Amino acid sequence: MTLKDGVWTVNPLAIQILGICSALAVTSRLESSLVMGAALIFVCVGSNLFVSLLRKYTPHRIRMIAEVAIIATFVILFDQFLKAFYWDMSKQLGPYVGLIITNCIVMGRAEAFALQNPPLLSIVDGLANGLGYAGGLAIIGLVRELLGTGKIFGHTVLLEQWYTPNQLMILAPGAFFTLGVVIAVFNALRGPQDEEENK
Amino acid sequence: MKGSLYTIGYAGVLGTLCALLLTGVASFTAPYKANNARVEEVLSILTALGIPHTPDDSAARLLEIFDASVRETQRGDSTIYIYASPDDEESPQAVAMRFAGPGLWGPIEGFLALEADRRTIRGLTFSRQEETPGLGGEIGASWFRDQFVGKTIVDRAAEPGISIGGEKGPNAVDAITGATMTCDKLEAILDGVIGKFVEERHEEQ
Repeated sequence: MTLKDGVWTVNPLAIQILGICSALAVTSRLESSLVMGAALIFVCVGSNLFVSLLRKYTPHRIRMIAEVAIIATFVILFDQFLKAFYWDMSKQLGPYVGLIITNCIVMGRAEAFALQNPPLLSIVDGLANGLGYAGGLAIIGLVRELLGTGKIFGHTVLLEQWYTPNQLMILAPGAFFTLGVVIAVFNALRGPQDEEENK
Repeated sequence: MKGSLYTIGYAGVLGTLCALLLTGVASFTAPYKANNARVEEVLSILTALGIPHTPDDSAARLLEIFDASVRETQRGDSTIYIYASPDDEESPQAVAMRFAGPGLWGPIEGFLALEADRRTIRGLTFSRQEETPGLGGEIGASWFRDQFVGKTIVDRAAEPGISIGGEKGPNAVDAITGATMTCDKLEAILDGVIGKFVEERHEEQ
Protein backbone atom coordinates (compact mmCIF):
# COMPACT_ATOMS: atom_id res chain seq x y z
CA MET A 1 0.00 0.00 0.00
CA THR A 2 1.38 3.39 -0.94
CA LEU A 3 1.42 6.42 1.35
CA LYS A 4 -1.40 8.02 -0.62
CA ASP A 5 -3.50 4.89 -0.30
CA GLY A 6 -3.01 4.64 3.45
CA VAL A 7 -3.68 8.28 4.18
CA TRP A 8 -6.41 8.95 1.64
CA THR A 9 -7.78 6.39 -0.77
CA VAL A 10 -8.09 3.51 1.68
CA ASN A 11 -7.82 5.41 4.97
CA PRO A 12 -8.15 2.78 7.72
CA LEU A 13 -10.38 4.93 9.90
CA ALA A 14 -12.65 6.68 7.42
CA ILE A 15 -12.80 4.21 4.55
CA GLN A 16 -12.03 0.81 6.02
CA ILE A 17 -13.79 1.76 9.31
CA LEU A 18 -11.18 0.14 11.55
CA GLY A 19 -9.87 1.21 14.95
CA ILE A 20 -13.10 3.00 15.80
CA CYS A 21 -13.11 2.23 19.53
CA SER A 22 -9.95 4.15 20.31
CA ALA A 23 -10.87 6.86 17.84
CA LEU A 24 -13.93 7.62 19.95
CA ALA A 25 -12.33 7.16 23.36
CA VAL A 26 -9.10 9.17 23.28
CA THR A 27 -10.04 12.06 20.99
CA SER A 28 -11.59 14.36 23.60
CA ARG A 29 -8.31 16.29 23.48
CA LEU A 30 -5.94 16.95 20.59
CA GLU A 31 -2.83 16.07 22.58
CA SER A 32 -4.02 12.58 23.50
CA SER A 33 -5.17 12.02 19.92
CA LEU A 34 -1.68 12.78 18.64
CA VAL A 35 0.02 10.54 21.22
CA MET A 36 -2.36 7.71 20.35
CA GLY A 37 -1.66 8.25 16.65
CA ALA A 38 2.07 8.16 17.32
CA ALA A 39 1.62 4.94 19.30
CA LEU A 40 -0.16 3.27 16.43
CA ILE A 41 2.41 4.41 13.86
CA PHE A 42 5.19 3.04 16.07
CA VAL A 43 3.44 -0.29 16.56
CA CYS A 44 2.30 -0.67 12.97
CA VAL A 45 5.71 0.11 11.47
CA GLY A 46 7.57 -2.00 14.02
CA SER A 47 5.32 -5.03 13.79
CA ASN A 48 5.12 -4.83 9.99
CA LEU A 49 8.93 -4.71 9.81
CA PHE A 50 9.54 -7.69 12.06
CA VAL A 51 6.69 -9.80 10.65
CA SER A 52 8.15 -9.14 7.22
CA LEU A 53 11.71 -9.97 8.29
CA LEU A 54 10.53 -13.26 9.79
CA ARG A 55 8.05 -14.12 7.03
CA LYS A 56 10.18 -16.90 5.51
CA TYR A 57 10.86 -18.53 8.86
CA THR A 58 7.42 -18.36 10.44
CA PRO A 59 5.52 -21.64 10.25
CA HIS A 60 2.18 -21.09 8.55
CA ARG A 61 0.16 -22.76 11.30
CA ILE A 62 1.27 -20.39 14.07
CA ARG A 63 1.65 -17.26 11.97
CA MET A 64 -1.17 -15.37 13.69
CA ILE A 65 0.09 -16.14 17.19
CA ALA A 66 3.54 -15.01 16.13
CA GLU A 67 2.07 -11.78 14.73
CA VAL A 68 0.22 -11.10 17.97
CA ALA A 69 3.38 -11.75 19.99
CA ILE A 70 5.33 -9.24 17.93
CA ILE A 71 2.54 -6.65 18.02
CA ALA A 72 2.11 -7.09 21.77
CA THR A 73 5.85 -6.59 22.32
CA PHE A 74 5.80 -3.25 20.52
CA VAL A 75 2.66 -2.09 22.27
CA ILE A 76 4.02 -2.92 25.72
CA LEU A 77 7.30 -1.21 24.82
CA PHE A 78 5.46 2.01 24.00
CA ASP A 79 3.21 1.66 27.05
CA GLN A 80 6.18 1.24 29.41
CA PHE A 81 7.94 4.31 28.03
CA LEU A 82 4.74 6.31 28.32
CA LYS A 83 4.27 5.23 31.94
CA ALA A 84 7.86 6.15 32.75
CA PHE A 85 8.34 9.43 30.87
CA TYR A 86 4.88 10.81 30.09
CA TRP A 87 2.86 9.69 33.09
CA ASP A 88 0.05 12.25 32.82
CA MET A 89 -0.68 11.20 29.26
CA SER A 90 -0.56 7.54 30.27
CA LYS A 91 -3.26 8.21 32.86
CA GLN A 92 -5.36 10.07 30.29
CA LEU A 93 -5.11 7.35 27.66
CA GLY A 94 -5.79 4.67 30.27
CA PRO A 95 -6.27 1.18 28.83
CA TYR A 96 -6.38 2.34 25.21
CA VAL A 97 -2.65 2.09 24.58
CA GLY A 98 -2.74 -1.56 25.64
CA LEU A 99 -5.80 -2.09 23.46
CA ILE A 100 -3.74 -1.29 20.35
CA ILE A 101 -2.87 -4.99 20.47
CA THR A 102 -6.48 -5.68 19.51
CA ASN A 103 -6.61 -2.90 16.91
CA CYS A 104 -7.67 -4.43 13.63
CA ILE A 105 -5.48 -2.10 11.61
CA VAL A 106 -2.23 -3.46 13.03
CA MET A 107 -3.12 -7.14 12.87
CA GLY A 108 -4.78 -6.66 9.50
CA ARG A 109 -1.71 -5.13 7.87
CA ALA A 110 0.61 -7.73 9.40
CA GLU A 111 -1.45 -10.60 8.06
CA ALA A 112 -2.52 -9.12 4.75
CA PHE A 113 0.66 -7.35 3.71
CA ALA A 114 3.76 -7.79 5.87
CA LEU A 115 3.59 -11.56 5.74
CA GLN A 116 3.90 -11.55 1.93
CA ASN A 117 6.08 -8.55 1.22
CA PRO A 118 9.70 -7.45 1.73
CA PRO A 119 10.63 -5.31 4.76
CA LEU A 120 10.98 -1.93 3.05
CA LEU A 121 7.53 -2.12 1.45
CA SER A 122 6.12 -3.31 4.77
CA ILE A 123 7.57 -0.30 6.56
CA VAL A 124 5.90 2.02 4.05
CA ASP A 125 2.63 0.14 4.44
CA GLY A 126 2.79 0.41 8.22
CA LEU A 127 3.63 4.09 7.99
CA ALA A 128 0.84 4.73 5.49
CA ASN A 129 -1.86 3.10 7.59
CA GLY A 130 -0.51 4.60 10.78
CA LEU A 131 -0.52 8.10 9.30
CA GLY A 132 -4.04 7.59 7.94
CA TYR A 133 -5.27 6.60 11.37
CA ALA A 134 -3.31 9.34 13.15
CA GLY A 135 -4.58 11.94 10.68
CA GLY A 136 -8.18 10.90 11.25
CA LEU A 137 -7.67 10.97 14.99
CA ALA A 138 -6.05 14.40 14.83
CA ILE A 139 -9.00 15.86 12.93
CA ILE A 140 -11.53 14.40 15.36
CA GLY A 141 -9.45 15.48 18.36
CA LEU A 142 -9.08 19.02 17.04
CA VAL A 143 -12.81 19.41 16.39
CA ARG A 144 -13.83 17.92 19.73
CA GLU A 145 -11.41 19.93 21.83
CA LEU A 146 -12.06 23.17 19.97
CA LEU A 147 -15.82 22.96 20.00
CA GLY A 148 -16.03 21.18 23.35
CA THR A 149 -13.77 23.42 25.41
CA GLY A 150 -12.77 26.31 23.14
CA LYS A 151 -9.12 25.31 23.57
CA ILE A 152 -6.37 23.74 21.52
CA PHE A 153 -3.63 21.93 23.47
CA GLY A 154 -5.14 23.43 26.60
CA HIS A 155 -4.75 27.02 25.43
CA THR A 156 -7.96 28.97 25.01
CA VAL A 157 -8.53 29.89 21.38
CA LEU A 158 -12.24 30.62 21.30
CA LEU A 159 -12.70 33.27 23.96
CA GLU A 160 -15.36 32.73 26.59
CA GLN A 161 -16.96 36.09 25.84
CA TRP A 162 -18.40 35.03 22.54
CA TYR A 163 -18.18 31.22 22.51
CA THR A 164 -19.94 28.97 24.99
CA PRO A 165 -18.20 25.58 24.92
CA ASN A 166 -20.43 22.77 23.71
CA GLN A 167 -19.95 20.14 26.42
CA LEU A 168 -21.60 17.49 24.26
CA MET A 169 -18.52 17.44 22.03
CA ILE A 170 -16.27 16.06 24.78
CA LEU A 171 -18.77 13.38 25.69
CA ALA A 172 -19.48 10.18 23.81
CA PRO A 173 -22.24 11.55 21.51
CA GLY A 174 -19.90 14.29 20.30
CA ALA A 175 -17.34 11.65 19.38
CA PHE A 176 -19.85 9.69 17.33
CA PHE A 177 -21.14 12.78 15.53
CA THR A 178 -17.65 13.99 14.65
CA LEU A 179 -16.50 10.58 13.47
CA GLY A 180 -19.63 10.24 11.34
CA VAL A 181 -19.00 13.58 9.69
CA VAL A 182 -15.33 12.73 9.07
CA ILE A 183 -16.30 9.44 7.40
CA ALA A 184 -18.94 11.18 5.31
CA VAL A 185 -16.59 13.95 4.17
CA PHE A 186 -13.76 11.51 3.34
CA ASN A 187 -16.06 9.35 1.25
CA ALA A 188 -17.67 12.31 -0.51
CA LEU A 189 -14.34 13.97 -1.40
CA ARG A 190 -12.66 10.74 -2.41
CA GLY A 191 -15.45 9.84 -4.77
CA PRO A 192 -16.30 6.33 -5.95
CA GLN A 193 -12.92 4.60 -6.42
CA ASP A 194 -14.08 1.00 -6.88
CA GLU A 195 -15.83 1.62 -10.15
CA GLU A 196 -12.70 3.04 -11.74
CA GLU A 197 -10.64 0.06 -10.60
CA ASN A 198 -13.12 -2.40 -12.06
CA LYS A 199 -12.87 -0.98 -15.58
CA MET B 1 7.52 -34.59 13.02
CA LYS B 2 10.41 -32.44 11.89
CA GLY B 3 7.92 -29.68 10.96
CA SER B 4 6.35 -29.78 14.42
CA LEU B 5 9.74 -29.65 16.10
CA TYR B 6 10.65 -26.55 14.12
CA THR B 7 7.30 -24.95 14.94
CA ILE B 8 7.77 -25.56 18.65
CA GLY B 9 11.35 -24.35 18.45
CA TYR B 10 10.34 -21.17 16.61
CA ALA B 11 7.57 -20.44 19.08
CA GLY B 12 9.93 -20.99 22.01
CA VAL B 13 12.65 -18.73 20.61
CA LEU B 14 10.24 -15.94 19.63
CA GLY B 15 8.50 -16.09 23.00
CA THR B 16 11.78 -16.03 24.90
CA LEU B 17 13.19 -13.11 22.90
CA CYS B 18 10.03 -11.03 23.34
CA ALA B 19 9.96 -11.81 27.06
CA LEU B 20 13.63 -10.88 27.49
CA LEU B 21 13.19 -7.61 25.64
CA LEU B 22 10.17 -6.60 27.68
CA THR B 23 11.82 -7.62 30.96
CA GLY B 24 14.77 -5.43 30.07
CA VAL B 25 12.53 -2.48 29.27
CA ALA B 26 10.56 -3.00 32.48
CA SER B 27 13.73 -2.96 34.59
CA PHE B 28 14.96 0.14 32.80
CA THR B 29 11.74 2.06 33.35
CA ALA B 30 11.16 0.80 36.92
CA PRO B 31 12.85 3.71 38.75
CA TYR B 32 10.96 6.28 36.68
CA LYS B 33 7.65 4.53 37.29
CA ALA B 34 8.44 4.32 41.02
CA ASN B 35 9.08 8.07 41.05
CA ASN B 36 5.77 8.72 39.30
CA ALA B 37 3.98 6.54 41.85
CA ARG B 38 5.64 8.50 44.67
CA VAL B 39 4.49 11.81 43.16
CA GLU B 40 0.94 10.44 42.88
CA GLU B 41 1.05 9.44 46.53
CA VAL B 42 2.40 12.84 47.56
CA LEU B 43 -0.34 14.57 45.56
CA SER B 44 -2.94 12.43 47.31
CA ILE B 45 -1.54 13.28 50.75
CA LEU B 46 -1.29 17.00 49.98
CA THR B 47 -4.88 17.06 48.74
CA ALA B 48 -6.19 15.13 51.74
CA LEU B 49 -4.36 17.39 54.18
CA GLY B 50 -5.59 20.47 52.34
CA ILE B 51 -2.08 21.81 51.80
CA PRO B 52 -2.16 24.48 49.08
CA HIS B 53 -0.84 23.44 45.71
CA THR B 54 -1.93 24.11 42.14
CA PRO B 55 -2.64 21.66 39.31
CA ASP B 56 0.21 23.23 37.33
CA ASP B 57 2.81 22.35 39.93
CA SER B 58 5.55 20.18 38.54
CA ALA B 59 6.51 16.91 40.16
CA ALA B 60 9.61 18.50 41.68
CA ARG B 61 7.57 21.36 43.15
CA LEU B 62 5.07 18.93 44.70
CA LEU B 63 7.88 16.97 46.36
CA GLU B 64 9.29 20.28 47.59
CA ILE B 65 5.99 21.30 49.17
CA PHE B 66 5.65 17.85 50.69
CA ASP B 67 9.13 17.88 52.20
CA ALA B 68 8.61 21.36 53.62
CA SER B 69 5.21 20.86 55.23
CA VAL B 70 4.75 17.17 55.97
CA ARG B 71 6.54 14.98 58.44
CA GLU B 72 6.34 11.20 58.17
CA THR B 73 6.45 9.31 61.45
CA GLN B 74 5.98 5.70 62.38
CA ARG B 75 3.36 4.83 64.89
CA GLY B 76 3.14 1.18 65.65
CA ASP B 77 3.48 -0.46 62.28
CA SER B 78 1.83 2.29 60.29
CA THR B 79 3.09 5.55 58.91
CA ILE B 80 1.25 8.75 59.63
CA TYR B 81 1.79 12.07 57.93
CA ILE B 82 1.76 15.16 60.10
CA TYR B 83 1.09 18.55 58.61
CA ALA B 84 2.74 21.21 60.71
CA SER B 85 3.91 24.63 59.63
CA PRO B 86 7.74 24.72 59.99
CA ASP B 87 7.69 27.44 62.66
CA ASP B 88 5.14 25.71 64.86
CA GLU B 89 6.01 22.04 64.93
CA GLU B 90 4.52 21.33 68.32
CA SER B 91 0.90 21.88 67.35
CA PRO B 92 0.22 20.10 64.08
CA GLN B 93 -2.68 21.29 61.97
CA ALA B 94 -3.61 17.95 60.51
CA VAL B 95 -2.75 14.29 60.42
CA ALA B 96 -3.13 11.88 57.53
CA MET B 97 -3.02 8.13 57.35
CA ARG B 98 -3.08 5.69 54.48
CA PHE B 99 -5.86 3.19 54.10
CA ALA B 100 -5.80 0.18 51.83
CA GLY B 101 -7.98 -2.85 51.40
CA PRO B 102 -10.02 -4.93 48.98
CA GLY B 103 -12.72 -3.22 46.99
CA LEU B 104 -15.20 -4.98 44.76
CA TRP B 105 -13.00 -5.35 41.67
CA GLY B 106 -9.58 -4.45 42.98
CA PRO B 107 -7.69 -2.74 45.78
CA ILE B 108 -8.88 0.57 47.18
CA GLU B 109 -6.11 2.79 48.51
CA GLY B 110 -6.09 6.36 49.69
CA PHE B 111 -5.48 8.78 52.50
CA LEU B 112 -7.70 9.91 55.35
CA ALA B 113 -6.79 13.23 56.93
CA LEU B 114 -7.96 14.41 60.33
CA GLU B 115 -7.96 17.87 61.87
CA ALA B 116 -5.78 18.77 64.85
CA ASP B 117 -8.38 17.37 67.25
CA ARG B 118 -7.78 13.93 65.70
CA ARG B 119 -11.54 13.35 65.52
CA THR B 120 -12.87 15.51 62.71
CA ILE B 121 -12.19 14.53 59.14
CA ARG B 122 -10.28 17.09 57.11
CA GLY B 123 -10.15 15.28 53.80
CA LEU B 124 -10.33 11.98 51.99
CA THR B 125 -8.55 11.08 48.77
CA PHE B 126 -8.21 7.92 46.75
CA SER B 127 -4.87 7.10 45.13
CA ARG B 128 -6.14 3.88 43.64
CA GLN B 129 -9.49 2.27 42.99
CA GLU B 130 -10.83 0.04 40.25
CA GLU B 131 -14.53 0.11 41.02
CA THR B 132 -17.28 0.13 38.40
CA PRO B 133 -17.13 3.42 36.49
CA GLY B 134 -20.26 5.45 37.06
CA LEU B 135 -21.32 3.40 40.07
CA GLY B 136 -18.71 2.30 42.61
CA GLY B 137 -16.19 4.44 40.76
CA GLU B 138 -18.07 7.51 41.96
CA ILE B 139 -16.31 7.15 45.31
CA GLY B 140 -13.51 9.06 43.61
CA ALA B 141 -15.85 11.89 42.64
CA SER B 142 -15.52 15.12 44.61
CA TRP B 143 -19.17 15.12 45.73
CA PHE B 144 -18.69 11.81 47.52
CA ARG B 145 -15.34 12.68 49.09
CA ASP B 146 -16.49 16.15 50.15
CA GLN B 147 -19.22 14.55 52.28
CA PHE B 148 -16.56 13.31 54.67
CA VAL B 149 -15.15 16.78 55.38
CA GLY B 150 -16.34 17.86 58.81
CA LYS B 151 -17.63 14.44 59.83
CA THR B 152 -16.15 12.73 62.88
CA ILE B 153 -14.54 9.34 63.07
CA VAL B 154 -16.55 8.44 66.17
CA ASP B 155 -20.31 8.20 66.47
CA ARG B 156 -22.55 9.73 69.16
CA ALA B 157 -21.61 6.97 71.59
CA ALA B 158 -17.91 7.66 70.97
CA GLU B 159 -17.52 4.35 69.13
CA PRO B 160 -14.93 4.63 66.37
CA GLY B 161 -16.08 4.06 62.82
CA ILE B 162 -17.65 5.56 59.76
CA SER B 163 -21.14 4.84 58.53
CA ILE B 164 -21.74 4.93 54.79
CA GLY B 165 -25.44 4.85 54.01
CA GLY B 166 -26.57 4.03 57.52
CA GLU B 167 -28.37 6.11 60.13
CA LYS B 168 -27.69 9.81 59.99
CA GLY B 169 -25.15 11.00 62.51
CA PRO B 170 -21.91 12.88 63.00
CA ASN B 171 -19.99 10.04 61.41
CA ALA B 172 -22.43 9.14 58.64
CA VAL B 173 -22.33 9.94 54.93
CA ASP B 174 -24.61 9.02 52.05
CA ALA B 175 -23.89 5.88 50.11
CA ILE B 176 -24.08 5.58 46.31
CA THR B 177 -27.17 4.02 44.79
CA GLY B 178 -26.20 0.97 42.77
CA ALA B 179 -22.84 0.70 44.52
CA THR B 180 -23.82 -1.06 47.74
CA MET B 181 -20.95 -3.52 47.72
CA THR B 182 -18.31 -0.90 47.01
CA CYS B 183 -19.66 1.28 49.82
CA ASP B 184 -19.73 -1.66 52.22
CA LYS B 185 -16.16 -2.56 51.38
CA LEU B 186 -15.02 1.04 51.70
CA GLU B 187 -16.74 1.31 55.07
CA ALA B 188 -14.94 -1.81 56.24
CA ILE B 189 -11.58 -0.46 55.08
CA LEU B 190 -12.10 2.92 56.76
CA ASP B 191 -13.38 1.32 59.97
CA GLY B 192 -10.25 -0.80 60.03
CA VAL B 193 -7.84 2.09 59.76
CA ILE B 194 -9.87 4.31 62.12
CA GLY B 195 -10.11 1.55 64.71
CA LYS B 196 -6.38 1.05 64.60
CA PHE B 197 -5.69 4.79 64.82
CA VAL B 198 -7.96 5.26 67.85
CA GLU B 199 -6.49 2.21 69.56
CA GLU B 200 -2.94 3.45 69.08
CA ARG B 201 -3.90 6.88 70.43
CA HIS B 202 -5.29 5.28 73.60
CA GLU B 203 -2.08 3.33 74.01
CA GLU B 204 -0.10 6.54 73.69
CA GLN B 205 -2.18 8.19 76.44
